[in-house]
Amino acid sequence: MTSMTDQVLDAGPRIPAGSRPGSQDGSPDEPPFAGSPSLSADDSRGIRLDGVVKSYGSHTALDTPVLHVPEGSLTVFVGPSGCGKSTALRVIAGLESPDRGRVLIDGADVTSHPPGARDLSMVFQDFALYPHMTVEQNIGFSLRLEARHNRRKGPTRAQIAERVRDACSLLRIDGLEKRRPAQLSGGERQRVGLARAIVRRPSVLLLDEPLSALDAQLRQHARAELVRLRREVGATMLLVTHDQLEALSMGTHLVVLNSGKVAQAGTPVDVYQRPASTFVAAFVGSPSMNLHPVRGDGVAFVTPGLRATVGNAASDSGRQALLGWRPGEGRLIGADSDVPNGPGMLIEGVVDVVEFTGDGVIVNCRSELGRWAVVLPAHDCVPAADERLRVHVPASRLHLFDAAGGRRLPDAPGDNILG
Amino acid sequence: MVLLGTVLIMIFPLLWALTTSFKPANNIYSTNPLPLPATLGNYRFTFAEFPIARLLLNTFVMASGATLLQLVVSVPAAYALVRLRTRGQGLVLVALTVALVVPAQALIIPHFLLATRLEWRNTYLGLVVPQLATSALAVLLLREHVRKLPPTLASAAILDGATAWEVLRFIVLPLLRPSLAAVGIIVFINTWNEYLWPSLIAPGRENTTIQVGLALFGNQEGQDFGPLLAAAMISTLPIVAVYMFASRRIADAFLQSGLR
Repeated sequence: MTSMTDQVLDAGPRIPAGSRPGSQDGSPDEPPFAGSPSLSADDSRGIRLDGVVKSYGSHTALDTPVLHVPEGSLTVFVGPSGCGKSTALRVIAGLESPDRGRVLIDGADVTSHPPGARDLSMVFQDFALYPHMTVEQNIGFSLRLEARHNRRKGPTRAQIAERVRDACSLLRIDGLEKRRPAQLSGGERQRVGLARAIVRRPSVLLLDEPLSALDAQLRQHARAELVRLRREVGATMLLVTHDQLEALSMGTHLVVLNSGKVAQAGTPVDVYQRPASTFVAAFVGSPSMNLHPVRGDGVAFVTPGLRATVGNAASDSGRQALLGWRPGEGRLIGADSDVPNGPGMLIEGVVDVVEFTGDGVIVNCRSELGRWAVVLPAHDCVPAADERLRVHVPASRLHLFDAAGGRRLPDAPGDNILG
Repeated sequence: MVLLGTVLIMIFPLLWALTTSFKPANNIYSTNPLPLPATLGNYRFTFAEFPIARLLLNTFVMASGATLLQLVVSVPAAYALVRLRTRGQGLVLVALTVALVVPAQALIIPHFLLATRLEWRNTYLGLVVPQLATSALAVLLLREHVRKLPPTLASAAILDGATAWEVLRFIVLPLLRPSLAAVGIIVFINTWNEYLWPSLIAPGRENTTIQVGLALFGNQEGQDFGPLLAAAMISTLPIVAVYMFASRRIADAFLQSGLR
């Protein structure tokens, strides 16, 4: 049974989602994760990293046995800084060559191709607009080079002008053509960067933290713009970010990286609801998942201030595990109310700090087992500091991880919820 | 106030030389700050007795040739030092710094022997090519400017399909333009004022530079300061012109580059 978690960690995208233990998915011809990377119609399409290793000195920045970005997807590489996501992007772009392994785009080995010959383009974190060129010249630069390199088949001046105009109107920057980058706002620069990337009509668009240089208000808008752009140009988009919220909300596919390795790959729903390890569990989701070391007593998992029944044989006596639950899944149980029937977790603690977030409150608690947080609706009665409270989480929302390695246990009760 | 005082102290000898160059021979040591009575005789004498136009041309060829060659060598050198991670890079940097502090006089003898063997005496080749030995300053200065360019610009150009040469030509060079102008002027003025090397490699009366020519002139004419100062004044005119033309260009280039 543990082999399944092994696969999740090592094989990256090859999660045999349908063969999941405890899956209540009845129909074999309708996969539960229609967009899951392993289930795309043609595995050779899109981008593949095959056994790619990239080191800087003694530091291994990237080590991915298999990593697949399905064609037409918006795949997000997410992870903390230094996790190898940018290295992966640069290896795919051809700006770095891997020490070992192959890069395949639509089945063709492009490992030794120069970046310009890979039919992809990239938007940089700082947008990297050429400061000495106008917006128009920036966007048309790649086409002008193409015309220079191939005078017969390359685009004519009229064609270049037309395609630049098209790109400008698609990104709604018409009217700015004669300006220089220094005369543009952050949002306009980002759109010029995008226009420059799509003007060549590449089949793959790489985006290196394209939203991080924008202020918070603009970012929300830019996210929607990016999703719209993908729909209109139909390219495979690969986005790198350290912002897990961005990753969850934008991507059709998510690849969580940690220290150069794929921690988990799957749909955002999959990754959020069935994190493959405590790393993914803690990294994805905000506020991050509460994790408590617990011990089985034969009937339930217990630790002082917490008792969880998971409804199967997982809680064998003496078994140690890490119990996880998302702050948003907890329900407040009043002092005089009854605990709901059925398997689930009851945790007790004392309110430490209450954070108001508008539509909810994050209640940070402390108890004998450490600190934890629960998100409650703001219109409920909000607990005050030093108040004791009890929180209940149904068993279907609980996650179990290996106490030593932090891997998701195959009998994690949370697996049932997707069935 | 301090600034004005410094400027006055600095400019005083130049002004004195300028006024003296207009004084007739019998009045040359007069302490009158104004050249009264004024004469153009010194200038007439200089042009008549001295191949000054030819010497200015020689100097101009030497200075602009050396500037051009040094820039052609140091731009790719500086770019490679910053962007290509090659082995022995630290060694090259150390060598450049050493080359910067080793006095040029130390190299004069080997250079002279080599250039003589190549029969470069009294030729433009002899005046220009050995000046490449002083490229260290240009390389180090340009390296600092290349380092200020965001590395993503080159990456973006490569992804746009540019070859290494096109990145240099369409991205790096235009953005380095202000720095190129500044470094070029430094090299030009340094070379213009070069004395020792031209006096050795091109001692011929028609083949040497203006600086060497002035010294020859002084020796020939003894203590006749009037024509000598007139010649000196003429020799500074091109450099003043270059500076005025270029300083405007530097400011221009800074504004145009979009770099802040």
